[in-house]
Amino acid sequence: MVENAKRSRGLVIAGAIGAVLAVIGIVFWMMQLSGGMVQTGMRNLDSWGLYITMFMFFVGLSAGGLIISSIPNAFGMEGFGGISKVAIWTSICCTVAAIGFVVVDLGQPVRLWELFAYSNLGSPLMWDIIVLAVYLILSIVYLVFYMRYEQGKTSHAAIRVISVIALVCAVLVHSVTAWIFGLQQGHEFWYTALLGPWFVSSALVCGTALVMALCIGLRAAGYLALDQAYIVKMAKMLAAFIAVDLYFFGCDLLTSAFPGGSGAEVVDMLVSGPLAPFFWFEVIGCVIALVVCVVPALRRNGLLVGASVLAILGILCKRVQLLVGGFQIPNIPFANVEGPYAITFGGNGVDAAYGQLVYAPAPIEWVVTLGVLGLAVALLCFGLAYLNLKPASSAQA
Amino acid sequence: MTHYGMAIDLKRCVACHGCTLACKSANNLPDGVRYNNVLTDGGQYMDTARGTYPNDLYRKYYPVSCQHCENPACVKVCPVGATYKDPETGVVRQDSDKCIGCRMCISACPYTGVRSFNWEEPKYSLDFPVGDYDAPQHVKHTVEKCRFCYQRLAKGQTPACMEVCGAMARHWGDLDDPDSEISQLIATREWEQLLPEMGTKPSVYYLI
Repeated sequence: MVENAKRSRGLVIAGAIGAVLAVIGIVFWMMQLSGGMVQTGMRNLDSWGLYITMFMFFVGLSAGGLIISSIPNAFGMEGFGGISKVAIWTSICCTVAAIGFVVVDLGQPVRLWELFAYSNLGSPLMWDIIVLAVYLILSIVYLVFYMRYEQGKTSHAAIRVISVIALVCAVLVHSVTAWIFGLQQGHEFWYTALLGPWFVSSALVCGTALVMALCIGLRAAGYLALDQAYIVKMAKMLAAFIAVDLYFFGCDLLTSAFPGGSGAEVVDMLVSGPLAPFFWFEVIGCVIALVVCVVPALRRNGLLVGASVLAILGILCKRVQLLVGGFQIPNIPFANVEGPYAITFGGNGVDAAYGQLVYAPAPIEWVVTLGVLGLAVALLCFGLAYLNLKPASSAQA
Repeated sequence: MTHYGMAIDLKRCVACHGCTLACKSANNLPDGVRYNNVLTDGGQYMDTARGTYPNDLYRKYYPVSCQHCENPACVKVCPVGATYKDPETGVVRQDSDKCIGCRMCISACPYTGVRSFNWEEPKYSLDFPVGDYDAPQHVKHTVEKCRFCYQRLAKGQTPACMEVCGAMARHWGDLDDPDSEISQLIATREWEQLLPEMGTKPSVYYLI
């Protein structure tokens, strides 16, 4: 009992730090709204930035986490040792963070109600808002039902039905997020049918990695007991997902580069252009993670956590490539009168503005981002401390 | 039905930027905001040439503002319908009271830089409003763009950029009327459009 109290005190302190960060973030968000978004690094020619990058990233983490926990339940396979509740809670926290990132990116958040009053159902952004809301509610319902199931109050059939719906919704939420970008014919880098499946595979990589790292961490902290066989199973899955994700990347690069037209510009930008550091970090990081996960001798806990972190950061780098890369190649690259709202780094001619990264976040964006992350951390830690998320003894077998 | 369009004679444009200024003034645009830009298809900076003398040196200007597409990418993606196509005139309009500032339209529009966001509270060089009394409102954190001077069309006038073009490079009219001046020009002159491969069917033609 004493042990338990000490452990949850650690979680509560971590949660409290997250909450403080969230409050700081809200203060800076208010400053952004009152002083204007001119304080951010975003401009007309690179009109989205760190917030939308993190939005993509967190939708992925969330969808991946939920898919991992619901596949075994949905298909009646042997699960991952009762970590379902932790995985579902993680994905709920990530969904909240994702919604938070969209909200801080909006210029007129007080007009959010219009989304429901004047919905343009043809807009991929509207699809995403609907699917995200359904997804968040569904995840909470799933968690509640899972807890009731463990108490013997709900049948296994009900869990299977809910987990199938949750699985479909998780795949959908990430595909729709991809379509926000992938349906824009104006951006060569984004406009590909592969983007939907690719977002799902990236989600599976970072979602699995997050759940695996979290399980190893929570086990080391004594929060839950988990047989090593389950960790190995997750590592093998992570390896498979990384392989698929890299395969998709290869397919996309080949299709872009082969005709040698404007698609070759996209490949140059990634491989040797301004986005090369993010590209190579992703590719090399994911390959290292893959090796650690497939070689039995390397599947030690420390290395597996390292592999998870590399995979998660790799996918984050991919999000940066996608977002900044979309604005990195202008469709009409003609010289214009310089202005304060045109582009983040202007003043030295067309090639100079586009020869470097077109966008870099301003300090206020980092602080607001930290605030949204704080909110997610607070939710995660308080949930782990106060909700009954530990595996029930019957589910551990 | 009316389908307003514009034809800009690139052989006549001398890049005086008069259209840009007339637009700024008529629409009472805040500092740093332009609906119309005269772009230099040439070197790195405005008014510079590309190539080498005497072989392939050239300089060319494209006055670019909203293309008022028949199939506008921006209208499709706006989640609240703040940017919409006027069924009477084909003009792509923008409602500053509705825009939630998500900037999806900026990203969806293939024509780099025709849409602009008010990144801060609009500031004006003059302490009184200029231009049309019913010029559009400029609201912080919303997206703006050329509306073909909708306030002027409603009064039977043409867009402000038309009025001042010293070289008379701009032509305006109803593309649906085969006898209109603009339809005749398009029928007889050689022309190009910006990024036709995007499938947006712009209503602005460049006579070459």
